[in-house]
Amino acid sequence: MKVLIGIEIHVHLLTKAKLFCSCSTDYEGKEPNNLVCPICLGFPGSKPKVNKKAIDFGILAAKALNCKINPEIFFSRKSYFYPDMPKNFQISQYEIPLAVGGYLEILGKKIRIRRIHLEEDPARLVHVGGDITSATHVLADYNRAGIPLLEIVTEPDFTSTKEVREFLSKLSSILEHLEIFDPSKEAGLRVDANISLEGGERAEIKNITGFANVEKALNYEIIRQKNLRRIGKKVERETRHFDAETRSTHTLRKKEFEEDYGYIFEPDLTKIEISQSWIKSLKMPELPDKRVERFVKQYKIPKQQASVIVYIDKALADFFEDCSKIYKNYKQLAKWIVTDLLKCLNWNKITIRESRVKPKSFVELLKLIDKGKITERLAKEIIKEYVPTGKSPEQIVKEKKLVTIKGKKELEKVVLAVIKENKKAVDDLKAGRKKALEFLVGHVLKKTRKTADPKVVRELIEKLTK
Amino acid sequence: MKSLVKEHIEKIKSGKISLDEFISEIKKKIEKIQSEYSPFITIKIENPEKKGKLYGIPISVKDNICTQGIQSTAGSKILEGYVPPFDATCVKKVKGQGSVIIGKTAQDEFGFGSFSVNSFVIPKNPWDKTRVCGGSSGGAACLTALADFPHIAMAESTGGSISCPAAFCGVVGITPTYGRVSRFGLIDYANSLDKIGTIGKTVYDTALLLSVISGYDTLDSTSLEVRDEDFTKYCEENSKIKIAVPKEYFGEGVDPKIKDLVWKAIKKLESLGAKYQEVSLSQTTYALPSYYLIAMAEASTNLAKFCGMRYGFHSELKGNFEEYFSQIRKLGFGEEAKRRIILGTYARMAGFRDAYYLKALKVRSLVIQDFRRIFKKFDVIAAPTMPVIAPRFDEVKKLEPIEAYMMDVLTAAPNLAGIPMISLPCGFVKSLPVGLHLMADHLQEKKIIQAAHTFEVNE
Amino acid sequence: MVETSKYWKIDKELLEHVSKIARLELSDEEKEKFIKQLEDILKTFKKIDEVDTSKVKPSFHALELKNVMREDEVKTWKWNPLANTKHKEKKYFKGPRIV
Ligand SMILES: [Mg+2]
Ligand SMILES: [Zn+2]
Repeated sequence: MKVLIGIEIHVHLLTKAKLFCSCSTDYEGKEPNNLVCPICLGFPGSKPKVNKKAIDFGILAAKALNCKINPEIFFSRKSYFYPDMPKNFQISQYEIPLAVGGYLEILGKKIRIRRIHLEEDPARLVHVGGDITSATHVLADYNRAGIPLLEIVTEPDFTSTKEVREFLSKLSSILEHLEIFDPSKEAGLRVDANISLEGGERAEIKNITGFANVEKALNYEIIRQKNLRRIGKKVERETRHFDAETRSTHTLRKKEFEEDYGYIFEPDLTKIEISQSWIKSLKMPELPDKRVERFVKQYKIPKQQASVIVYIDKALADFFEDCSKIYKNYKQLAKWIVTDLLKCLNWNKITIRESRVKPKSFVELLKLIDKGKITERLAKEIIKEYVPTGKSPEQIVKEKKLVTIKGKKELEKVVLAVIKENKKAVDDLKAGRKKALEFLVGHVLKKTRKTADPKVVRELIEKLTK
Repeated sequence: MKSLVKEHIEKIKSGKISLDEFISEIKKKIEKIQSEYSPFITIKIENPEKKGKLYGIPISVKDNICTQGIQSTAGSKILEGYVPPFDATCVKKVKGQGSVIIGKTAQDEFGFGSFSVNSFVIPKNPWDKTRVCGGSSGGAACLTALADFPHIAMAESTGGSISCPAAFCGVVGITPTYGRVSRFGLIDYANSLDKIGTIGKTVYDTALLLSVISGYDTLDSTSLEVRDEDFTKYCEENSKIKIAVPKEYFGEGVDPKIKDLVWKAIKKLESLGAKYQEVSLSQTTYALPSYYLIAMAEASTNLAKFCGMRYGFHSELKGNFEEYFSQIRKLGFGEEAKRRIILGTYARMAGFRDAYYLKALKVRSLVIQDFRRIFKKFDVIAAPTMPVIAPRFDEVKKLEPIEAYMMDVLTAAPNLAGIPMISLPCGFVKSLPVGLHLMADHLQEKKIIQAAHTFEVNE
Repeated sequence: MVETSKYWKIDKELLEHVSKIARLELSDEEKEKFIKQLEDILKTFKKIDEVDTSKVKPSFHALELKNVMREDEVKTWKWNPLANTKHKEKKYFKGPRIV
């Protein structure tokens, strides 16, 4: 059964002030209703005025996503009632959005972007005495109300959750490279997803916050729809809500009453002409695709690894480059980032930015391996402690009293001793029995308490028995 | 007519009158007027904080213009008790020039009407208490006519709400070019049409207050970035005025006696050196439906914010938000507001918006072009302000909504086009005042002030 | 040109739909009265159908206004946003539940 998914992504733009008033957007950790004014609270008589920076940022995003930017745009009132909406209409864009017809390539496939537009964020609601379906009342904090949102709408081009994940990751990295988005902020990225099985009705899941939840919500919804089909039931056209705690989706409202947004032109604002010279005046930084190319060329690392590093997030790519300044074995660097570092970050559910991993300490770890002071296997153990704590790898080695092989000479001594003690095995090896080699390696490893690198040991045995 | 305002400013300056004495004297007068005619929703007399161009001049403010610390309801129960946390830009400006704010004048709920009907008080016509003052700035015109002390009113017009009451009450009202006066702090009716203007006893008074309140404001995106003007300097006689007289404004529905008076006024201007010519404004009949469709569509979105949560009328939180909001709105809005919410919502609904709302916006373009064409050759357009004299309360009660809307038939077009206009008295029919309406091209306030002044001093 | 036969009409079902969208409860009396009044109003407004606007652009404002924007600067308002409501709890606005 083919799955069709289309998504709408809302991201907070990194302006200092809100979209239509001069209140600060720095809402995290603030007292409720501290960053509000009569404009973003929609008090009678207040008037909006658009923040030019938000449009600049929108243009940059539209260019990066290969969209056509409309030469003249305007804002519209999208009318619907909800306690998080100060005016019971949202200033958004309708007929002529900022940009249309773009695409983003992931896994060798183009995901089409239908439109990009700007709008104001509503408030944050706290549902008191239950969840959205069972609360007695709500508490509204309008600090978030009016923060510029960039809404990106895709065509229903995704056929798997994996594609959605890849898309969001790359999109986020692009927006970060443009310096218009901070992925570390909670509620900074929210997704509405339309999901259907081929030939069936679609369900819309509203307001999923964060990447991980998007995946969970989609997976749940796909299974739910498949199960319904299996027992011969139809999927109903409806809006669903994702509950992050139970990791499941629930009916929010059936589509029997269609909300009619009754769009009108926002008469308190003017049209905005976007000239070519305006577009050209905005500096386009190096974007992820270009950065991957450069990484391959400049650092001679495999494209697959470069892509992982750059598309996960900008911070990881920056981390790679910061490390590269103090550590020149780029292949080794890339390999360790893509495999063990990422694995550990994911395991701890943190990003590089949130972690205490710093270039200096990470390179220290790599150098321990290079100098043969620790084996790769041991390094894999050390990194598990290093990532969540940020402790110096040398310190970890000392604290754990991990025996390290100080050098090749020391290892040679051990190997020679093993050869002496196992004459029969050595003879077998010389006679071409491969199993004997593993037997000898095992003995060496035992003696070195697994701190020696089996590969090196193997080579040494072969060399010394010739 | 002599300007009491002009005299008063000189007297205060020269110390001939004490401001404190003057204020306590007008307090009594205001109370007396209020008890007989009810022009105010809220009376609150504030001493000036500064000296300036309007030092010591009483200014009344229409209730839909926000005044910090003074209840501002726009005539609606849904905003009862609402105390704005800020002053409208125009209020800030008059305060900055030393005026004495005296209170908030009555109006139709949110400006929806021509009779100043609202949830609180309904002002009575100064010439005949059984008649209406017109609207929606009825309280402003009523008070202006009755005050025997210097006073100018800050009023507002969306589709004729300054000209209509000025005509019905026999005073002067200027509606400036859209965007000339900042709307910041004006409780919206229809944002693309709303204009703050002035009502006074003389052309000079209205021009003086307009000079103070107009000008570019960074807080209003539709505020025009034009150079400040002292409009009082256009209170001068100009004998070389070219007047257009549009035949559509003298049609069937217009009281013949009013037509006669307006023609007399035009001839009078001609005798003073002006030239006139009859013209046609062919889009006139389409202006009224276009105006109403746009105004209602915008109004219905503006009124959405009133839902009993953050300010204004609210009750105990019961039911879910749909139930609670619907209840509050049912109880808080008057009948005309409800009608306009329904019509406005309907006009912008999917499937209908192209035929109603968008069509109306296109008709607006044609109405503007119509005026542009005339103003290429003429300085001003002259017409009657209202088709009838002020109706009696018992007549108004019997009117169907559409009949009430038709009252705006002569004012809808210029308001839709956002051109400046002035209404000034030009005689009486059945002892009730009649308004002469003069209109000019965008930003040509100078021309209507000159023409009006020329007529006024020679009446 | 828009096909106009289905426009400029209002019936009870449509009125109820509109009143729901507008979150404005109407009494039966009001409904009855409004249907008649709105019919009259729409009949008059229908006049704009006569105008050929096929080549006309809509005017959002009376004057052509464009590109009015502000810079990205933060300013703070010193005020109490909760002063005009009874519905508050701690520093939050209190509102009705969703479902
Ligand atoms: Mg949106
Ligand atoms: Zn604000």
